[in-house]
Amino acid sequence: MSVSTVLPTSVIGSWSVPDWLERAKTGVHHGAVSRTQLADMHDMAVKAALKDQEIAGIDIVTDGELRRDNDVDYLLARVPGVRCAEPVKAFYFDYLDFYVTDRLPDPGPEPLRLAPDLQFTIEHTDRPVRFSMTGPFSLSRRLRCEGGAYPDRVELVLDLARVLNAEARALAAAGARLLQLDEPFLAGYPEQVELAMAAVNVAVADVPVTWALHVCYGNRYARPLWEGHYDFLFPAVLDTRVDQLLLEFARKGDEDLQLLRRHGWDRTVGVGVLDVKLAEVEPVEVVEKRIERALDVVPAERIVITPDCGLRHLPAPAARAKLNAMTTAAAAVRERLSREATRVKETRT
Amino acid sequence: MLVEVRPADRLRGKNAVDLTAALAPVLDTLAGDGEGTDLSRLRVVADWVQYRESFRAPVALRPVVGGPQLELALDLRRTTAQDADQVATAVAAALHAHRSGGSSRHHVTLEEWVPTRRSRIWDFNALYWQHLRRWEEATGRGYESALPGGQSDARDVEPVRDTITELFTIWDSLAQRRALPEELYVVELGVGNGGQARTWLDTFMELDRAHGRDYHRRLHYLMCDYSPHVLELARAAVAEHSSRVSSFVLDATRPMTSLAFLRFKVFFVYISNVYDNLPTDEIATIGQREHLVESRAYLPADAAEAIAGRVDAAPAALGGLVDKLLRLGPDLLAEAAPQHFPGGVPAAVEFWRSCWQALRLQERYVPLHGLDTYEIAPGISGELLRPLVATGGDVRMHVSNGAATGFAETLPLLHPYGRLQCHDIVVTDPHQYRTGFRGPGKYDGSVVNWVNGPLLAHIGARKGFDVAFAPFRRPGSNITTMTAGVRD
Repeated sequence: MSVSTVLPTSVIGSWSVPDWLERAKTGVHHGAVSRTQLADMHDMAVKAALKDQEIAGIDIVTDGELRRDNDVDYLLARVPGVRCAEPVKAFYFDYLDFYVTDRLPDPGPEPLRLAPDLQFTIEHTDRPVRFSMTGPFSLSRRLRCEGGAYPDRVELVLDLARVLNAEARALAAAGARLLQLDEPFLAGYPEQVELAMAAVNVAVADVPVTWALHVCYGNRYARPLWEGHYDFLFPAVLDTRVDQLLLEFARKGDEDLQLLRRHGWDRTVGVGVLDVKLAEVEPVEVVEKRIERALDVVPAERIVITPDCGLRHLPAPAARAKLNAMTTAAAAVRERLSREATRVKETRT
Repeated sequence: MLVEVRPADRLRGKNAVDLTAALAPVLDTLAGDGEGTDLSRLRVVADWVQYRESFRAPVALRPVVGGPQLELALDLRRTTAQDADQVATAVAAALHAHRSGGSSRHHVTLEEWVPTRRSRIWDFNALYWQHLRRWEEATGRGYESALPGGQSDARDVEPVRDTITELFTIWDSLAQRRALPEELYVVELGVGNGGQARTWLDTFMELDRAHGRDYHRRLHYLMCDYSPHVLELARAAVAEHSSRVSSFVLDATRPMTSLAFLRFKVFFVYISNVYDNLPTDEIATIGQREHLVESRAYLPADAAEAIAGRVDAAPAALGGLVDKLLRLGPDLLAEAAPQHFPGGVPAAVEFWRSCWQALRLQERYVPLHGLDTYEIAPGISGELLRPLVATGGDVRMHVSNGAATGFAETLPLLHPYGRLQCHDIVVTDPHQYRTGFRGPGKYDGSVVNWVNGPLLAHIGARKGFDVAFAPFRRPGSNITTMTAGVRD
């Protein structure tokens, strides 16, 4: 995956879900909307989300994860061997109750059947596409083990990683260039970071794409699930074979940026500069300052500018305005860097 | 014609209402009404209004705007205490008043038709809290003695111990993961006389000493109330804990205006007897269609005449004086209109209390063109009411707009491990709206309505919280404990 610009901008994954789509998604569970109609609505919503991102000037776009009810159900429901206690819910965003009674079978090729989603996205934009899957550790936290299955949950996490790996291979074959694993639950279990990182390595193994890892403090219902600091990630994350580490800094403050320098993270950093839990739009100058502070720690060529997390819970106008603020700020910083580079060059000559 | 008797449990038992006798004068009057009321479009709705003082007349007619339907509303508690002739006369008068334009020409109307949450009754309610000291001076008793049982429901030590012990467990665990913030915030909304805060802080100190982690040093207890007078009393009650306590004058519907800096930081929010006192609309399904209840405050003719006589004014001038009262408060009213209040402030307070006692609401139903055209609270669409109103059959329920607004704005204050606890009178099942009267009533100088618990639970769920209801521990209490904690 290549983006020509310095300080490229990207969204993390999810896009604002319109009220009408929420009603339709919920309606499917109550028989008010058919799955065919909903699939049609998803196609239209994805195209609109891509257009919104393009208009905002985002360099690396996503499908907004608009086909997914939440960060777990869409994936776990497709994992071979996973069962659902009651596949109907009152509100689409609720989590379903998943369980296993036996060890997961060999995943086979394309276990999650996500390639059509990716291909639809690629067909409807000319920009690089980021495609995300919830990581094995977080998926495991929503999976009950019954009947003696997985007495050691370590094996469950690793088996889920194998499923994701098989899916990632299929996605790469379908044209994926940038794949991302999201671990929204990891911050709540810092003592298990080594297991989570080992599972990440299983999931990314031998898949020839740029890999990103996003770790946040949760964004369920626009709320953090946990609080704390990113220091738990280090040094374990240094051993992962990922190319980008995407973290949230806007809401939490940038104190943890220093961890990247202290621990010698030498790959790309996705710097969260938009608080996605607040609908108020940050002034461009504030976003610029957040980017500048990241530049104090990481060189520009290793930074991707992003929101803290997915934009699912923001009203669409707020999401659009925030992205505009982000791209405007990134452009301003780029411009300043360019001027400085020119000045240095002129001084030398 | 449909007759709906809501207080079904009063039709049986030792003091059962004789429904046949209660309805006979009503039905006889309707049958004998030769002036063309279409009985096939009439609903007779009988409630049991348990409040000693309320905004209801014993008999009232409620039209549906733009349609031929009518609702004749009866308060069985009062109509069964009257003789049959009185009831028949009241029914005939209500029908006559409706035919001649909707209300008695002699009433003093205090406002135009508005959704009930915007009615002047809420200005009276605000006046009460802002000038509580004056009201208490006039009545000779503190507002707490007007509560049912004569005291606040919030001083039981055992639940306080449980709450604090749970907090210690959470804090210990967070501290172990280096995730415990330096400042530990607890917020109380609606502080009463400070008794709850004192009990809480005393218990906290005692348990913290035994626990040995010195959390007391990091504790910030924020007392918030709409009434400066109440807050002042509460501060005095917790004087011994002053180094750990801050107080804020705060509108419970807009906690973020003062507490935005605490977003995601508060470990415990306690709310007592606040939500039942916040503005609310009512919504009604009539014939499978949703309607908004609109209200109009008025002073009945006889009461208006008596009040006007006492302040040396014509009944028609009362509206202007009430406007001034609500705008200025009793102290400035006495100064601004000395000719009406030669007795000074006490006379103005007496005027206030007389108007409040006489105050009634007319009601009508306005069809809604889709629930999504109605806003429960900022950013919360009326669609959230659908599962509650679509439970089969006609129903009329509170929207609890003020409570919904306050609740929705308070939840974001909570830390990921935070919890909200609320003690209040709460409807916990939509069916309760079909079987009982849930307000509005008058408590002393304030308005009271039961809170729509299932609606708050829906709002909580959409914001990532599980909301649970449990009866309050004191036997015989109407109070419900509502708890909201982060789900998933």
